[in-house]
Amino acid sequence: MRYTALCAPAIASMVWAANGNAETLIVNSYGGPYETIIRERIIEPFESKFGIKVIYDAVGSASQDYAKIKATNGRPGFDVVVMTASQSLEGCKEGLLDELSPKEVPNLAHLSSVIAGVAGPCGAVHEVQYLSLLYRTDKLAERPNSWNALLDDGLKGKIILPTFQNVMAAYLLEIYSVAHGGDLLENVDPGFAAVAKLAEQSIGFEQSSSVMETYIKGGDVWAMPFWNGRAQLLVDGGLPVDYVLPKEGSIPLVATLNVPKHAANRDAALKFVNFFLEKTSQEAWVTGYKVGSGRIDIEVPADIRAKQITTEADLKALLLPDLAAVATRLSAWGERWERDVVAAAR
Amino acid sequence: MAVITCSTPTKPLRAVPAGGLLPLIAPSIVLALFFAIPMGMMIGISFQSQSAGGLTFASYSRFFGNDLVLAGLVRTVIMSGLVAVCVTVLAYPLAYYLARATSRWRTVIFALAIAPELAGVVLRTYGWLIILEDRGFINSALMWTGLISEPLPLSKNLFGVVVGLTHVILPFGVLSLLTSLQSINPNLERSAQILGASRLAVIRHIILPLSVPGIVSSLLIGFTMAASAYATPALLGGAGFKVMATMVYEQVLFYLDWPFAAVMANVLLVLMLAAGFVGSRLESRLHQKLHI
Repeated sequence: MRYTALCAPAIASMVWAANGNAETLIVNSYGGPYETIIRERIIEPFESKFGIKVIYDAVGSASQDYAKIKATNGRPGFDVVVMTASQSLEGCKEGLLDELSPKEVPNLAHLSSVIAGVAGPCGAVHEVQYLSLLYRTDKLAERPNSWNALLDDGLKGKIILPTFQNVMAAYLLEIYSVAHGGDLLENVDPGFAAVAKLAEQSIGFEQSSSVMETYIKGGDVWAMPFWNGRAQLLVDGGLPVDYVLPKEGSIPLVATLNVPKHAANRDAALKFVNFFLEKTSQEAWVTGYKVGSGRIDIEVPADIRAKQITTEADLKALLLPDLAAVATRLSAWGERWERDVVAAAR
Repeated sequence: MAVITCSTPTKPLRAVPAGGLLPLIAPSIVLALFFAIPMGMMIGISFQSQSAGGLTFASYSRFFGNDLVLAGLVRTVIMSGLVAVCVTVLAYPLAYYLARATSRWRTVIFALAIAPELAGVVLRTYGWLIILEDRGFINSALMWTGLISEPLPLSKNLFGVVVGLTHVILPFGVLSLLTSLQSINPNLERSAQILGASRLAVIRHIILPLSVPGIVSSLLIGFTMAASAYATPALLGGAGFKVMATMVYEQVLFYLDWPFAAVMANVLLVLMLAAGFVGSRLESRLHQKLHI
């Protein structure tokens, strides 16, 4: 009797799956607060509307997921994956991701052309963050409005930088390059010089954003570059921190929904992507996860609009590097980072 | 001083009958499918071009022409060598005690020696990070007592990685030495002592020479496991401490340059094969030199 009771749910689920009524969809994304919010604001409403069961896979980072797609030639075992615009472009070029068209995903037509173009034809932009300057409100007397504030003597030994293997580093380099007379791609010498000075007064480098935030939480670090979505989570958590988009501008982290080339449940995947880009879904996501959107017709409270990318003007104010061209330079920049920047910190 | 000579049996070993090779078929198939073929594919990838089609040596010439990568290779060799020595030196007395002890404490100490393997390597490495980092247990205690005013550099460097890896690999060193030490007949030690040899002389002239296979095995296990370790160097080494395993990870996941990553992995494999070859040659030379 006991064994029958134990086996019953397993047998029922097998029968349910075998009779063909259960359309399923495997979505691969992040864990932590992200998972809680996406389940509540996107996945559950999607399941209710379409009757499709979503299996959420929070294992692996976006780069690990992309490596899995590449290793399996587009058959990674999940149908939708959250990655970045850089990975969308690379995957599209290598024929590993499906191209998405407004015919199959009608809500793509509502995305701002400025940001949709950044991700290319295989990425549906569902979220926009930007590299912000996060700081301790209880340590800094004044709100830092410029990236150059990190170079102030008062912050010596009180800042931390990302390693180059965190894409934040390349973006920081480009931002400093533009701020010091260079550009986003061809002339990054001023950027390297400025970031090397930054390294001199840093306490070092960390690759993981989650490790970086432990330093500012503990008070060892008073200011650092950080994605504004994660920064907002720290603010909401009650820490004495705040963040700004400095006057020199910032580069966005464009998050995309992607469908691997040989996804097993392609139709359900396209429905999910389209659902995530619905106006109501985007409003729910922006107000829940506190990030920006690629849709400029959403209606969100003023306090969120003030901090997030939600308008065409916000998008146009951002620095938008050619991500495909950046990808070709990453290796050389990485080596130079080791020689010029990491060496300066020692 | 009495010299004890052990010689190999003069009678040739009986040839293995044809049917005796049958048990080797299954492991051979598994090795061919899951080791040889993937390794062959990786060698193939290393000759691919990242940008254009066709076969090329470009990734190999980039590897051997890049001082940062070569520094990583040298760092890997130094780190692995130090870990191999530390593991063997620390494991030897422990293994000797376990090989000779008869008290009930033997089981407890054996369990404690193997216990680190029960926790995952990432968990243990984070444990060392908590102990060694600037705000960690050791530095906090030393600063609290006033012995130091600035934190000692115990993590984010070679020292931290060697400490962490030695802890991770120590049980393997103990096991390989234990097998070797258990095979030494205790009567040899008793005989030597009856003939007047001191305890130190017994260790130097009997135990150490006869345990050479175990020492070499421990050194090889320590070296190869340290050279291929990823989590501990990544967590305890910091941004400035790059070894081959962490560099392969970067190339695969961040730079997406799989041909270059394959070259690094192949060089790492050759390094380990070379260590194995040197180890076996060293063992046979010591056998000849020590007449065992």
